[in-house]
Amino acid sequence: MSSQAWLNEPVARAAAWSLATILFYLLAKRIYRFHPRWWLMPLAVAPALLGTLAFVLHEPYRDYIRGTGWLVAMLGPATVAFAVPIYEQRVLIRRYWAFLLAGMVMGSLTAMASSWALASVLGIDGELRLSLLPRSISTPFAMEVSGEIGGVPELTAVFVVLTGIIGAALGDILLARLPLRSKMARGALFGVGAHGAGTARANQIGREEGAIAGLVMVLVGLMNVAIAPLFMYLMNW
Amino acid sequence: MFIGRFVILLRRRIQRSLVLQIALVGAFWLAGEGIVRAVGLPLPGAIIGMALTLAALCWGGLDIGTVKRGADWFMAEMLLFFIPAVLAVLDHHEFLGPLGVKLFAVIFVSTAAVMYVTALTVDLCLRWRERHELASLVE
Repeated sequence: MSSQAWLNEPVARAAAWSLATILFYLLAKRIYRFHPRWWLMPLAVAPALLGTLAFVLHEPYRDYIRGTGWLVAMLGPATVAFAVPIYEQRVLIRRYWAFLLAGMVMGSLTAMASSWALASVLGIDGELRLSLLPRSISTPFAMEVSGEIGGVPELTAVFVVLTGIIGAALGDILLARLPLRSKMARGALFGVGAHGAGTARANQIGREEGAIAGLVMVLVGLMNVAIAPLFMYLMNW
Repeated sequence: MFIGRFVILLRRRIQRSLVLQIALVGAFWLAGEGIVRAVGLPLPGAIIGMALTLAALCWGGLDIGTVKRGADWFMAEMLLFFIPAVLAVLDHHEFLGPLGVKLFAVIFVSTAAVMYVTALTVDLCLRWRERHELASLVE
């Protein structure tokens, strides 16, 4: 009993879980470097290992996130960081902004319409169906839109995360099969389809892809927040 | 005169240090969060921080060399910051079972559709532009 007493100290517990998260992340990254398969990607392997550990130690998520929430908060400065590649690609972006806008509009419409249609076909309705709609955009935007249109923001946050994992893997598979000529199309695919997780993946593929994905991720989030009231108006009409 | 030299020295110091660059990116983030809180904007602070950084790079004389390495570090390790959020899935036992399979199907198919449509739209626009430019060259 006494050997586990230190684990009851909130600070020690937070430090231990933070350290475990970072170590499993580094391990998962290493595994992926030597075996680059889509099902071995760090975003799937590290949480699986951590989840197993949390299960074995009977650690509820509430306590885990209390200690590691600061890591999630670092998504803030990581978003700020995308100002740099956007600045570097400003000539390209200024030249082709209309095409990117077209991609974002079409992508957002597809996200909403296909989620709605598929959920309806599979018998998912009510709040759950509405919570699925804004899942392609990054969490703060998605939760805002979800609340606006009558979904459950907390559920949307979970769907956003799942979209990120699935999208990062799907993106690789689609890139290998679609005859896409431009880096811009490849960046937009990740930014509109899988928000931050997709952007992180696009950044590994290339600097230009990462810059486009980062820009598009932010703009598509803003765009969705802006049109959510309009969407509600049409729904009620 | 004195201030000018101080700025040059500071810039050189930051250009050499990854830690200071990470701190600078963090400072822009905190500034964004501060503005959002002070003004009560309905936007994430990180977006305002990003806009501030972009504005400083374009018009504020912020040297790209003083933030580039710090920004690269944040982007390279970004997946780490998602991992604790992914574990939130463990809290939703109701998603284990048939409902979970359905939700997975919706997310999988819809995300594939979004990616397909987005990438094809951008690519088709580019091809159309290429053809257009080629045609105008021939004329």
